[in-house]
Amino acid sequence: MAVVETRDLTKKYGSFVALDRLTLSVERGQILGFVGPNGAGKTTTIRILVGLARPTSGSARVAGADCVTEARKIKRLVGYMPDNFGSYDNMRVGEYLDFFGAAFGIPRRERVQRIGAVLDTARAGSFRDLFVETLSHGMKQRVAVARTLLHDPAVLILDEPANGLDPEARIEMRQLLLDLAERGKTLIVTSHILPELARICHRVAIITRGRLRSFGTLEEITRQLRPSRPMEIQLTSAAALERVLSLVRQTIGPDAEVSSSPAELVVRFRTTKRDEELTGLLTALVAADAGVAQFREVQTDLEEAFMTVARESG
Amino acid sequence: MNPIIRRELLEVLRTRKALLLQVGLAVGCMLLVLVRWPTSAVSDLTGARSLEVLRVFGYGLLAGILLLVPAFPATTIVREKIKGTLALLFNSPLTPASIYLGKLGGVLGFTAVLLVMTLPAAAACYVLGGAGVRGGITLLYAVLGVAALQMCTLGLLVSCRSQSTDSALRFTYALVLGIAVLTLVPHALLRGSSDLWAQLADWLRCLSPVPAVMEILGHADVGAHGMIVAESVLPRYLIMALLFSLVCALSTIALFNHQLFDRSRPAGVMTEDLSTLGQAFRRLLFLVDPQRRSGSMSLWINPVMVKEFRTRRFGRSHWMLRLVAVCAILSLGLSYVAASGALGWTIEVIGGGLVLLQIALLILFAPSLAAGLVSSERESGSWQLLRMTPLSPGKILFGKLCSVAWPLVLLLCATLPGYIVMMTVKPELGYQVQRVVVCLALTAVFAVLLSAAASTFFRVTALATTASYLALLTLCVGTLLIWLGRGAPFGHATVAAVLTINPVAAALQAAEMPGFTQYELLPANWWIIGAACLVLLVFLRFRTWQLCRPE
Repeated sequence: MAVVETRDLTKKYGSFVALDRLTLSVERGQILGFVGPNGAGKTTTIRILVGLARPTSGSARVAGADCVTEARKIKRLVGYMPDNFGSYDNMRVGEYLDFFGAAFGIPRRERVQRIGAVLDTARAGSFRDLFVETLSHGMKQRVAVARTLLHDPAVLILDEPANGLDPEARIEMRQLLLDLAERGKTLIVTSHILPELARICHRVAIITRGRLRSFGTLEEITRQLRPSRPMEIQLTSAAALERVLSLVRQTIGPDAEVSSSPAELVVRFRTTKRDEELTGLLTALVAADAGVAQFREVQTDLEEAFMTVARESG
Repeated sequence: MNPIIRRELLEVLRTRKALLLQVGLAVGCMLLVLVRWPTSAVSDLTGARSLEVLRVFGYGLLAGILLLVPAFPATTIVREKIKGTLALLFNSPLTPASIYLGKLGGVLGFTAVLLVMTLPAAAACYVLGGAGVRGGITLLYAVLGVAALQMCTLGLLVSCRSQSTDSALRFTYALVLGIAVLTLVPHALLRGSSDLWAQLADWLRCLSPVPAVMEILGHADVGAHGMIVAESVLPRYLIMALLFSLVCALSTIALFNHQLFDRSRPAGVMTEDLSTLGQAFRRLLFLVDPQRRSGSMSLWINPVMVKEFRTRRFGRSHWMLRLVAVCAILSLGLSYVAASGALGWTIEVIGGGLVLLQIALLILFAPSLAAGLVSSERESGSWQLLRMTPLSPGKILFGKLCSVAWPLVLLLCATLPGYIVMMTVKPELGYQVQRVVVCLALTAVFAVLLSAAASTFFRVTALATTASYLALLTLCVGTLLIWLGRGAPFGHATVAAVLTINPVAAALQAAEMPGFTQYELLPANWWIIGAACLVLLVFLRFRTWQLCRPE
């Protein structure tokens, strides 16, 4: 069952269309990577989902609650971490979390326990007595995650959580998000660090100019974007290069996109054929004694998919 | 030319507020002259009418210099520190002295532009006759120039030491008030005596530009009622002000180095983590220890109110206790003066002094507490976090207003013992004190609501704070300029009409302070301020709702 669901979500500012009929859904315990260039409409979507903005048309629901008509309910269901921290001066981390706990009406005794638990979850237990404004960026990100978790929301929406983090902190943040998903939280994460997202997201939505260009698992997206997959044959010597080229053309058809790189001793081609259909080519190459060292599919990553979408949408 | 002067000047002159200031100042001065421009065929050869205009004009300019100028230097360094551009300046071949002189030059340049805008009005005063160029107008502008330099160097020093623009503004305005007004108090109390303390007090008051301007405008001195004083204060003011500016400038340049950025992160040591001896020592020092872990908020108390107290540097209990103690001592000190009949002051004058003390505290504290209520949250980005909580706009507003109301109530209460002493001395003052307390309460509510309304209107706290101070000071102090010109050039009816909207004048009239007794300001003033409070409250509620609703 979808925990987060948008249908034909549209947001206009005058004549400018910030969001154009966006439809997507995220299941419980899944992490959705929300990707798009600056000004694509990611933050607008997020602001509608957390009840900070109203759509011009369409609907958005979080855990069954309507984001427009049930805005108060949404606040308890969603934990939102904006891209800027929103700190208060002269306040210690413990007091900062205590305030948000009290604002969410968590009883005093339970709040004390909860603050300790979320600080441990965010690996920020040692910051409790520090003043918020003196924390480094990475420390603030952890405190922000702790604040987001404080009222135990079903859905977490994190805007650029890995932004400005050092490599170690980034790895820890990635692990933290995976842990949260394992605990049954639904996460929507935006980031410009695409390899990072690709490693944790169950599903990815690519949005440009307010329109959803691609949505699904990374595999599905790459299939959507490029029906043919890139393949590579690594040879041991250049002697058989021409023979291999002709064999590939014979097997996958004369119009196939085939190229070779003598310097790398590699033959590349794209094909829509399935693995079972390609075994014939591999058998032929081995039989021809072409000196095949490797026969592999080149993985398309999120960055490549994103660049393809960005290029296509102009 | 120092590149910073050019950049600073361009940055200020390109803003809309700079244009508004220039136009406002020029129009204000023009209107002032227009009021007294001769309309009949008979000319005033003595120049008395011109002098009357020059007096109001001179005090207006002094008020302008004291109120408008400090806002620019107070924010210029701290803003660059926050934005990170100060580090870039230090990383350039510019020396700390040239950076400082550039900043000072930029602010003084803008002040010069403002003063130039008033020159046509000064020329008109000269044309009217009675106001000499060398002894009158030129000297006035010279003193104003020195006062501007004094305020700018002070503002830059505070800006260099501050961590946020609004705290820089608060401290600067508090110090300006202290230098311009509070330095006059010891001399006023010790007048007539010739001991060392009296002489020191006599020199101390020369830090303030007020006596110097009064001397130029023919008012002799504070409390001298126009009688010529034996010793001129003008040269002493010029020496003291220039020395003061030099000390401020050298202190700021000395602070202008890498140490501004070279600060370690506080370790967050709590009293509970200290040794038993350390804990006992802190218990001796503090009634309420700020380093003790604070308890969880009760759900019965508005969390926004508690949050506001905790986020204020001086909102913590130990600071509140210190403030209340100082106010109580000041109030009791004044009432002791009243009870012992020292200096031959009447009880009405002491009562007026008490009212002025309370009003000064209100004008100083209300905007500094309330002007950042919403704007600071919007500036730091925490407003959207607050909107994401289940707290309703009404609860947020209530919590925020309560967080300002409590310290002000405590402040006012701390100054009330003075009235009790006065009522014990003279029981018939009871009715008078009741009226004064109502006036003060209304002034407090008005000041808080006005500043809070400004905080919902501006995104930047520094702007909201400046706007609040300007609006309050214009209403409470600016309208007193008209009162200063009572009899001439302004008639009784004009002064009474203007004072009706001034809560300070109403409080002083209620206290039967000499100079205000002839005006009937109550209860009209209560109705006007009460209605203004109501309008501001409705506006505030609407703006909070508007800022909380989805976009």
